[in-house]
Amino acid sequence: MPEDGVVREPMLEIYLFEATQLMEQLEEISIECEKNRKISTEAINEIFRIMHTIKSSSAMMMFNNIAVLAHSLEDLFYFIRESKAINIDFEKLFDLVLCGIDFIKGEVSKIENDCNADGLSEPLVLKSSNLLQDMIKANGVIIKDDCQEKKEDTKYYISSFEKLGSEIKQKYLARIFYEDGCEMENVRAYTVVHNLKEIASEMYHIPEDIIESDDSVEAIRRDGFLIGFSTSTSKEKVEEQLNEIVFLKELELKQVEEYPLELKVLKAKIEIDLEKSISEESVFEKIPDKLDINKEKVANVIKSGKQQSIISVNISKLDKLLDLVGEIVISEAMVTKNPDLEGLTLDNFNKASRQLRKLTNELQDVVMSIRMVPVSTTFHKMNRIVRDMSKKLNKEVELVIIGEETEVDKNIIDHISDPLMHLVRNSLDHGLEEKEERIASCKPSMGKITLEAKNAGGDVFIIVSDDGRGLDRGKIYEKAKLQGLVTKHEGELTDKEIFSCILLPGFSTNESVTEFSGRGVGMDVVKKNIDSIGGAISIDSLMGRGSIISIKIPLTLAIIDGLEVAVGTSKYTIPITSIRESFKPKENDVIADSEGNEMIMLRGQAYAIHRLHRIFNIDTEVTSSNNGIMVMVEDNTKVACLFVDSLIGEQQVVVKALPTYIKKAKGIAGCTILGDGNISLIIDVSGILDR
Amino acid sequence: MEGLFLKKVLITDDAAFMRFSLKTMLERNGFEIVGEAENGAIAAEKYKILKPDIVTLDITMPVMDGLQALKQIKAIDKSAKVIMISAMGQEGIVREAIISGATGFIVKPFKEETILKVFEKL
Amino acid sequence: MADILDETIETSEDTQKGKFLTFSVGREAYGIEIKFVTEIIGIQEITEVPELPDYVKGIINLRGKIIPVIDVRLRFRKEPKQYNDRTCIVVINIKETSVGLIVDNVAEVINIDDSNIVPPPQIKSGFHNRYVRGIGKVGNEVKLLLDCDKLLNDDEIESLNTII
Repeated sequence: MPEDGVVREPMLEIYLFEATQLMEQLEEISIECEKNRKISTEAINEIFRIMHTIKSSSAMMMFNNIAVLAHSLEDLFYFIRESKAINIDFEKLFDLVLCGIDFIKGEVSKIENDCNADGLSEPLVLKSSNLLQDMIKANGVIIKDDCQEKKEDTKYYISSFEKLGSEIKQKYLARIFYEDGCEMENVRAYTVVHNLKEIASEMYHIPEDIIESDDSVEAIRRDGFLIGFSTSTSKEKVEEQLNEIVFLKELELKQVEEYPLELKVLKAKIEIDLEKSISEESVFEKIPDKLDINKEKVANVIKSGKQQSIISVNISKLDKLLDLVGEIVISEAMVTKNPDLEGLTLDNFNKASRQLRKLTNELQDVVMSIRMVPVSTTFHKMNRIVRDMSKKLNKEVELVIIGEETEVDKNIIDHISDPLMHLVRNSLDHGLEEKEERIASCKPSMGKITLEAKNAGGDVFIIVSDDGRGLDRGKIYEKAKLQGLVTKHEGELTDKEIFSCILLPGFSTNESVTEFSGRGVGMDVVKKNIDSIGGAISIDSLMGRGSIISIKIPLTLAIIDGLEVAVGTSKYTIPITSIRESFKPKENDVIADSEGNEMIMLRGQAYAIHRLHRIFNIDTEVTSSNNGIMVMVEDNTKVACLFVDSLIGEQQVVVKALPTYIKKAKGIAGCTILGDGNISLIIDVSGILDR
Repeated sequence: MEGLFLKKVLITDDAAFMRFSLKTMLERNGFEIVGEAENGAIAAEKYKILKPDIVTLDITMPVMDGLQALKQIKAIDKSAKVIMISAMGQEGIVREAIISGATGFIVKPFKEETILKVFEKL
Repeated sequence: MADILDETIETSEDTQKGKFLTFSVGREAYGIEIKFVTEIIGIQEITEVPELPDYVKGIINLRGKIIPVIDVRLRFRKEPKQYNDRTCIVVINIKETSVGLIVDNVAEVINIDDSNIVPPPQIKSGFHNRYVRGIGKVGNEVKLLLDCDKLLNDDEIESLNTII
């Protein structure tokens, strides 16, 4: 779905959406089958269907490289489906399938970015057909087409007669040419034969074999379909019937005394009841299908049930809706909290505005929930990574997913995918030990990585944990010291503080750059990503037992609970989630060090003071500590106090980004419009505390 | 299409993309899409309710494939006009569909002109 | 004020060519092509945003939309002046960006033919010369015609954006 307002043709849009969905489904099935070393009938059918669909759709959209690849994989799974019991090299098969998935995903991505889908699928197609050949050789069964089972000699046949009546019959000769590109001319010819048998008492045609032979298609394209038949029906009616042929390009119809030589020759062949042979063929084919249908029914009815209650909506429409609802919330506040109404007694008005408030809140909740998506898709993406990496690193790893139904704003999901990937990679690469080491430490040989998502208040927690070797506090401290990232003594720092050093730019204790996690490029980028959505990371670990990385992210970016504060004539909003407490300070409690940095003592602890009026250069009369208020705030690592003039009150505010012309200053996260029309700047606590 | 009433069509395919493509092409040429079905079972059900003039059936679908659906629909209405949407390699199934009463068939991938040529004659 | 603008804005792009909104800042008279102007409003409460260049006074709430405002006096390195009830904000929109220009007062919308526009002098005196794309003659008077693109040109915007 276009996120940046790019409008694509709806057909392309649906193609991309469906292709992406199908690839995700296919990937999940593949990993599951490979893991269990088993492919159920349902799985085979589903994989076949997915390939079939991708083949058709891609061909329609003229993405031929994808179509050809899908076709070859479809053939592969067709063989697997039709062969009753065969040996499958799961690794080889699913490696190929996953490579195919990657190729298709790559092409889709190119198309989404308005580039040409110019990837070459030939190597994979070759691999696929080679694999198919190998399977055929190994299992000794070759299936040419779906008419394989027919044992009868159907090369020479004459259609069955309706009745051998005594009406006057006339011999006709017809030559039928079909439109170019209509495909399956042999089957179309068969249709003609099938329809004519109702009125014809005999029929001979060239090409003779329109059932088994593919050559007949070429012959018909080249010379047309020649058919001689005898009927008592009038010429007009015959012509009418033949002119109804779909894709008819040209029809030559004439009454004849005798059939031409080539048809006469056929007359001498054995008569076989066409109908009987076909119904036998259908019995042959039907049986496997029947079984499949029964087995599939349960699983797929559920699936199609789910599909029916979901519609896909363009994200830009949702964004617009959300924006409008945000505006309504602001407007509602501007009406109900209008300064004009100050001091007036308006009982009825107040009642009505409370009702309005209730409705706008509900509207807001519903619209927010539309944008909420479960984290499951993102979590499941990790399966592939675990599978690929564990193979490459030769480590046995199990990925456990908990709480995947937890929902998060769509905007946010897009931002956590990459960080999660990096964390999982890190765990696999550096956290989990090799098998031998694990066994030596009395751990199960299979390493475990757990992905958990849960709700807590107005935030969502995503926790990545592993049972690997954990973080080495000493080593990290040493490295941090070496890089000049810490100044205090090791003893003065808590575990959490030391561990969080790995989030600093330029930090890495990895001696070697592995293929997966580079040197010092990863964790600080992860932090940046999380910061950009207003989240926080904290790291905990136990040597030898494992590590836990917790990411706290807001439920939504659009609306936050804030505390309005005044500094001079300006108003600021502090996100409630960052506030620990607020209090009126006493002058004596404020102390300053030699550099003029102020601190305040509270319950035995010292907290740094940040005076907002100084930071933002605001004129205010409230400068002495006695007259203002301290608001204790925290981000994921620090706690400090903000000094403001006064508290105004708690308010739910709609977050608006600062205009792009003004990039935000450090410490400002955005702004909001208050009920009285004034703008309040939203404080970015991390930004302030970092100063 | 002249006439006061547009011909009503029911489209059956498990792929949303195919349904959308076919729908777009047909609507552009004066047909009314009265319903869509993701598999043969749903198609048969909807046939009973919507009573379309024409039904299109993809062949490869979960739960109930196009061939089975054709037979069901023909059992409901002998004179039903059914167009099979097949892929290359499905000749056998298409032949059986013809015997079971399918009015015609189209091979994927198809272009708009192709679709029209078939639908014109219905 | 609004009336003048309404009339002119209703006309199509083409016929807006050669139409300029004139305003004064200090002793100079300036003109901006009307096609960039979306509205003119009286001076209103401005919310300061820290760490911006001095000429970017802050942001305002324009019917729910947040718009940054620039003090043209300060932009052109003139002495700042107290805002009074004649002070206006001319809201312009260039390349999807809306910005308000604080000016001393707005005069009128006038037509200036291309033939009456001469290129600016090469002397670099006066900081604002960078932004003047031409000098328009209107009767006995001279209007300095501003290049809106350059006024908020990309380099400027880039540098503003990098102030963190």
